[in-house]
Amino acid sequence: MNNVLLQVVNTVRVNKGLVALNTIRPEDDLRNNLGFDSLDLAELTVRLEKETGIDVFSESFVNTVGEILEKIEKR
Amino acid sequence: MKSEVFFVAKDSLVYSYERLFQDLGECAKISRYCYTPDTYDVLIHILRSILNDIDLVLLDHDFSKNELEALGIKPDNLTETVRVTPLSLHSKAELINAINDKASWKLTLFTSGTTGLPKKVTHKLTNLVRLVRQSEKQKQSVWGFAYNPTHIAGIQVFFQAIMNGNPIIDLFGLSRDEILKLIDEYQITNLSATPTFYRMLMPMGKALSSVKRITSGGERFDSSLAKNILQGFPNAQMRNIYASTEAGSVLESKNDRFVISDLQRSKIEGNRLFIHSSLLGVDDFAGEWYDTGDLVEIVDYASGEFIFLSRASEMINVGGYKANPLEIEETLCLHPAVIKARVWGKPNPVIGNILMADLVCNRDCTEKEIREFLKGKLQDFKIPRVISFKDEIDTTRSGKIKRV
Repeated sequence: MNNVLLQVVNTVRVNKGLVALNTIRPEDDLRNNLGFDSLDLAELTVRLEKETGIDVFSESFVNTVGEILEKIEKR
Repeated sequence: MKSEVFFVAKDSLVYSYERLFQDLGECAKISRYCYTPDTYDVLIHILRSILNDIDLVLLDHDFSKNELEALGIKPDNLTETVRVTPLSLHSKAELINAINDKASWKLTLFTSGTTGLPKKVTHKLTNLVRLVRQSEKQKQSVWGFAYNPTHIAGIQVFFQAIMNGNPIIDLFGLSRDEILKLIDEYQITNLSATPTFYRMLMPMGKALSSVKRITSGGERFDSSLAKNILQGFPNAQMRNIYASTEAGSVLESKNDRFVISDLQRSKIEGNRLFIHSSLLGVDDFAGEWYDTGDLVEIVDYASGEFIFLSRASEMINVGGYKANPLEIEETLCLHPAVIKARVWGKPNPVIGNILMADLVCNRDCTEKEIREFLKGKLQDFKIPRVISFKDEIDTTRSGKIKRV
């Protein structure tokens, strides 16, 4: 599951002109460590929903990679 | 004189009122166009123009050369200047009086238009300051500045703050952590922003007690978000504003239900909201009542309470910014490989709506290639974030592209 998330994170990063990452860690902050703004986070939600069927931001806001993984695994 | 804060910039530079008066005094020439990325420069340009009674045109700094050209603005226009007499101001009271003296000064802004091009709106100073509240209590306010300074909402916040001599702390475009830190550090009392801005701050972790007044506007009000906001800012009162670029703030409420408080200024007819032409920009519109294009539903006939349903026009609200799908589709079709384009808004919990594009191309393309092509031609929020490549796009019987 971590691989799906890494892939989606990298799609968003590459599309906005950032380099792809080799790994992401649960403690990575989506804004501060991954460099996402609100438009990027919106894009991330759409792409993740397509891959996993889960809308990670629907109930509450998430700030870190770990919080997203938790929502995906809880399913 | 005690150096009181006028403006705190994104790079943490602090400008005092003393510094503002000094900068206003040193100016010998100004341009009739403001086109700069620096918010302090925008604000001081506005003040210089008012005090010298020279009308000003405000431009988004991310307008591309093509967009400016389409608006009839040539590169030469941006560098032309007018000579002015340096000003001598020494106190906030002098500054406020001097602004009040220039009632006929005019400011021109551009708004996302319905026909593809941004629409020009010119406001007299009297209209821009019509909702400013001045009082001893307001003099204690510290403003978090969370709007683009070249848009009507930012201008209205600026006038509310400057007409009370308040500090303005620039929060626009900063990260969540930086914003929360600045609210605490400068003990910000007033915030005015879009639901998207507040959503970015959630969950807040630590409650911030300095904030007394929270204004939400520019997008549909979200009552579950409002609940979260008030948990994060326990001392704050909340209000919801209905505003338009043509008129600025028009209605306000504590939740998603509005009433027409002034029959001279707005009315509902056939489930549409109309605003009186006296609130609009100069030369904007010839008739008496202006159709906002916003559809409403009366929910309580006794009290006259109504809610907003949707826009009759096809503008897509992206985090408070209005994107015109037709403009974006036209720009996409400028790409040599794109044969047909459809742009639509998908509801999104982070920014209200996210822009999606479906394309029919005559060769293999990548999303990255299309996005890079749009960069520099369109403002960032107008660039579709998810692009799908299709064999065909449905059209309606009239040949128009079908919106989903």
